[in-house]
Amino acid sequence: MMAFIRPRLRKPLGVALAGTVFAAAWALRGGHAWWLSVAIEVTVLVTAVTTYVRAGEDNDEGALAGSRADERQQLLSVRSRALGWNFAMVAAFIGVAAGVAVKATWWWTFLVILAVGGFAYLLGLSNYGVAEEDPADDAGPRPPARFPAS
Amino acid sequence: MRNRVREQRTQREMSQAELATALGVSRQTVISIESGRYLPSLPLAFTIARFFGLTVDKMFDPDEEEAGA
Repeated sequence: MMAFIRPRLRKPLGVALAGTVFAAAWALRGGHAWWLSVAIEVTVLVTAVTTYVRAGEDNDEGALAGSRADERQQLLSVRSRALGWNFAMVAAFIGVAAGVAVKATWWWTFLVILAVGGFAYLLGLSNYGVAEEDPADDAGPRPPARFPAS
Repeated sequence: MRNRVREQRTQREMSQAELATALGVSRQTVISIESGRYLPSLPLAFTIARFFGLTVDKMFDPDEEEAGA
């Protein structure tokens, strides 16, 4: 589906879509603060336009925002996301520990984040080939090597 | 690891942007490779070497340290 969307539009559209879903959720929530959903939507649209403008810039951030990153820029993105996820996991662990210590009712929400992170890590190991290692081709009996080769 | 990308590029009087376009990478990546901050993948190393008509081991020398790196 993404192939039908111009690369420069992909991230801005993703931002707009995710933000609009959140704004809609806020509006559905109702209550006296329903009007915040309008502010959220405006912020999201401004962010989406900013992302589109940044995607046109000739730098690493622009290449990532415009979905035209080369191998080095993709590596930068992967490393940055890995760092972000590490921080999130540490924060979630602190949340679990603090929640348990103060007998809070919300401690399990941090545990869910930790569990999702752990599961995603194992899924990554599985998807990216840890279980696909072939046996060494020199394992088992084989005729003795002859040197020098003739 | 030292490489001869800058040397080869300047010999051909190419800009970094022109080389980037020819290799299908960004100008920033060419700058990073030339300065030794980024080691290209094997496919990109072959692409660079072939572009300049050299072998990979002539283009990238693992035994030499990048000056200033």
